[in-house]
Amino acid sequence: MKLEIFVTQNFFQGYNSMNVYKNLTLALGMFIVALGFSGKAEAQEKPTTLAIMNGQVHTIAGSVIDEGDVIIEGGRIVAVGVNLAAPSGSQIIDATGKIVTPGIIAPFSTLGLTEVSAVSETNDTRTDEKFTLGAALDAADAYNPASSLIAVNRAGGVTRAVSVPESSGFLFGGAAIMIDLSGQNNSVTKHDIARSLQLGVRGANRAGGSRIGAWGIVREMLDAAIAYANDPVGYNKDQSEGRYTIADLKSLGGVLRVEQPLLVRVNRASDIRAVIKLKNDYRLKLVIVGGSEAWREAKALAAANIPVILDPFFNLPAEFEDLSASLKNAAFLDGAGVLIAFYNPPSGSHNLRLLTQQAGNAVANGLSFQAALAALTLNPATIYGLDSEMGSIEVGKIADIVVWDTDPLELSSDPEVVIINGDIQSLQNRQNLLLQRYKDLQRGDLPFAYRGGE
Amino acid sequence: MKKKLGVKSGKSEQRSSHKRPRYIGALTSSIMVLFLAACGGGKNSETDGQYGRPALDPYPSTYKAYPSQTTLISGATILTATGEQIEDGSILLRDGKIVSVGTAKQVKAPRDVLRIDGEGKWITPGIIDMHSHLGVYPSPGTNSTADGNEITDPNTAEVWAEHSVWPQDPGFTRALAGGITALHILPGSANLFGGRTVSLKNVPGRTVQEMKFPGAPHGLKMACGENPKRVYKSRGPSTRMANFSHYRKAWIEAHAYNEKWKRYEKKIEKGGEGAGKADRPKQDLKLDTLAGVLEGDIIVNMHCYRGDEMVQVLDMAEEFGYEVNAFHHATEAYKIADYLAEKNVCAAVWADWWGFKLEAYDTVGANAALVHAQENGCAIIHSDDEFGIQRLNQEAAKAMDSGQEIGLDIQPKDAIAWITANPAKVMRIDEDTGTLEAGKMADVVVWSGNPFSVYAQAEKVFIDGALMYDRYDGARSPRTDFEIGQYDNQFTGGAGQ
Repeated sequence: MKLEIFVTQNFFQGYNSMNVYKNLTLALGMFIVALGFSGKAEAQEKPTTLAIMNGQVHTIAGSVIDEGDVIIEGGRIVAVGVNLAAPSGSQIIDATGKIVTPGIIAPFSTLGLTEVSAVSETNDTRTDEKFTLGAALDAADAYNPASSLIAVNRAGGVTRAVSVPESSGFLFGGAAIMIDLSGQNNSVTKHDIARSLQLGVRGANRAGGSRIGAWGIVREMLDAAIAYANDPVGYNKDQSEGRYTIADLKSLGGVLRVEQPLLVRVNRASDIRAVIKLKNDYRLKLVIVGGSEAWREAKALAAANIPVILDPFFNLPAEFEDLSASLKNAAFLDGAGVLIAFYNPPSGSHNLRLLTQQAGNAVANGLSFQAALAALTLNPATIYGLDSEMGSIEVGKIADIVVWDTDPLELSSDPEVVIINGDIQSLQNRQNLLLQRYKDLQRGDLPFAYRGGE
Repeated sequence: MKKKLGVKSGKSEQRSSHKRPRYIGALTSSIMVLFLAACGGGKNSETDGQYGRPALDPYPSTYKAYPSQTTLISGATILTATGEQIEDGSILLRDGKIVSVGTAKQVKAPRDVLRIDGEGKWITPGIIDMHSHLGVYPSPGTNSTADGNEITDPNTAEVWAEHSVWPQDPGFTRALAGGITALHILPGSANLFGGRTVSLKNVPGRTVQEMKFPGAPHGLKMACGENPKRVYKSRGPSTRMANFSHYRKAWIEAHAYNEKWKRYEKKIEKGGEGAGKADRPKQDLKLDTLAGVLEGDIIVNMHCYRGDEMVQVLDMAEEFGYEVNAFHHATEAYKIADYLAEKNVCAAVWADWWGFKLEAYDTVGANAALVHAQENGCAIIHSDDEFGIQRLNQEAAKAMDSGQEIGLDIQPKDAIAWITANPAKVMRIDEDTGTLEAGKMADVVVWSGNPFSVYAQAEKVFIDGALMYDRYDGARSPRTDFEIGQYDNQFTGGAGQ
């Protein structure tokens, strides 16, 4: 299903007269001139009002609207319903036969902190083992909105992501940020949105080789952070004996004040029970990341109000702590009332666009379709306390919206329009430009390196 | 001049290889004669006989198909992987083989067969993964089990993946639940020459020999680019140019070694029985593998991402008179798809992995589709991953969709070959499996729906006609020794987890 309904200006008309590659066409979204708007020629002027008309709207907040309209103004959703009138002067997106959802939110990634995983010069995802700071690190310091990963994932319908820095030597990781995928310089949505804690076998490796050591350090640091917070001036820093810095203790303040969640990376059921105890002992806002055996503790997690960010593909005993990893993890947890969201490790930030496929597999293994969509959109917003701002199609929320050609969880689906902060986004990226360059291998009048520069 | 390779197929020789002595050099001629007689072997090829070359497969397959019932599945949509999609199709399986495939009218079955209603279901050949490290990098991934790559020398052509395979890897069971019936296990890619590969039937065995695909030849794993040049910095190679000098030196040595054997074989032929035993060349495990490639008995699987590097490898193959059978991880195959098609080389790729290293930076979703679209193009979707192997159908679906996006007419009936017929061809098991055709092994998957949908699941997996996996029957779901008893009855591990 192509967007013939749109009158488009095709940049590439002079180049090859091949089928217009859909994404390239869409890349010119800002040049889309809606039929209802054809009287005006100044297409380059970006309209501030968008009207998505007649699509199957999955609001996530309520029921599905079969032939629904969404009106966007000033970057926010101003109306959702049926048979709405498009405000005069608005750019109309005809979504007849299409699926409209909130943008995908990736709740756990390193987006903007990495370009090529194995090229260390392009990586700011983590410090090495010997580095002296952990919780005091801040993803915002390294965030690069020009990373090519952003455009690739944006074309897959991902509109926001949380980037989490890690320290290889410490259990506590630094300040995570939420970004939007506009690629703009001002694309940090929220600074210092969470901090992380590595436990389980990887945590043990950073704590003398055992879980005993890791939990000892966790309690010691939290106690010290509380002592520091209570009396920063009188705090005796010598008691740390070099195991952690004042900067790290200070950085845990937001977690202790329950202003932000602590993302705890853990898998084994016994470790998860220990995390629930940690929450009760210190009254923290905790989120489990990984949780391969979380389904075994589903009831307890629901009772403790601890969400789980999981990988729906994960079903192997990759480590001894994953012995009961199951494809049904998502369905079990959701069924028990645990808030779930998805991530794709490791170095998954290149393919956050596959979160929809992961969600589809969760559905194939028992999760409801609506629960899967919520896990991709509203739930991540809720986890970070931003559910009043984003994650669903409701009046007043930030307009991050995707128009899909078909079921977004299907392998054949592609976003046709991606809207972030009320702006239609370019869907162009290195991958579709390379494809355009090489899809015809016939020798031309000039080398391949000249293609795509028109 | 390029040798005519692949004509003298290693396959037919491999077929009888398990009847040959395991280690000729260790046996005296008289014992050998007896041994040969007992085994029914004869001196009928250059690799046979008392003074012949080292055996190609001294750890032969002991795979035996499990009992099967004559089974008719009807009313399903069938993808044959020969380019056909049959609606309301039927397939009849008997004695481990496919008897017939066609529309309900075309397939006649006796009255007393097991009948399975296939309405709403889709049927495909068993899925084949061309690139797997199951067994050699098993789960759990501990130092005790990391046996997939001998990272001690740039050339470890002497190591064989089958000697590392742990048959109790739970990954085999999960792959089975994803419809995998055969898979090709490779050593890792830190070496220019990584060692021999092995093809397996995905039927649990106590030994790797019980899993080995009968008659499948060995492959050689080679690697281009970043991995080999990164690992041996102090002694080389540390550059791509040194990668090539090391390959070329090795091929020169391999030719010299191969010539020694040829001269020796001629001598034996002239001198008759007993002649020239003392002249038998000293066996070299490393060079055995490379000479096997030169003789066309061992298939070359080359890990290579960059297009420019792949074309250089093709020139090298021309220079030394061997064939590259497939490039694996061929991220940039789309840039040189015409070269690959011209040389009849398959490109095995992921649907969308990218950016984990620089040579994987230029991925495009339509890579497989563009390779396929060439006349004579051969695309394969592989996993290289214990999770990806469980849903190769989904990976093929994404790659197909990307092709359709740029206007290529590729349908499920075509793309199914990327994970069945094409890998079978490279692994030289295509006479036995890879398509749904009469006479082939009954390696068959029944899917809950269109396998190109994210919601489809393999419901029944037949291997040689035996029902090895049934999603709804716990008794037809294998559990490895490692997983058994780890948890209570709520969870005991197994294929469908």
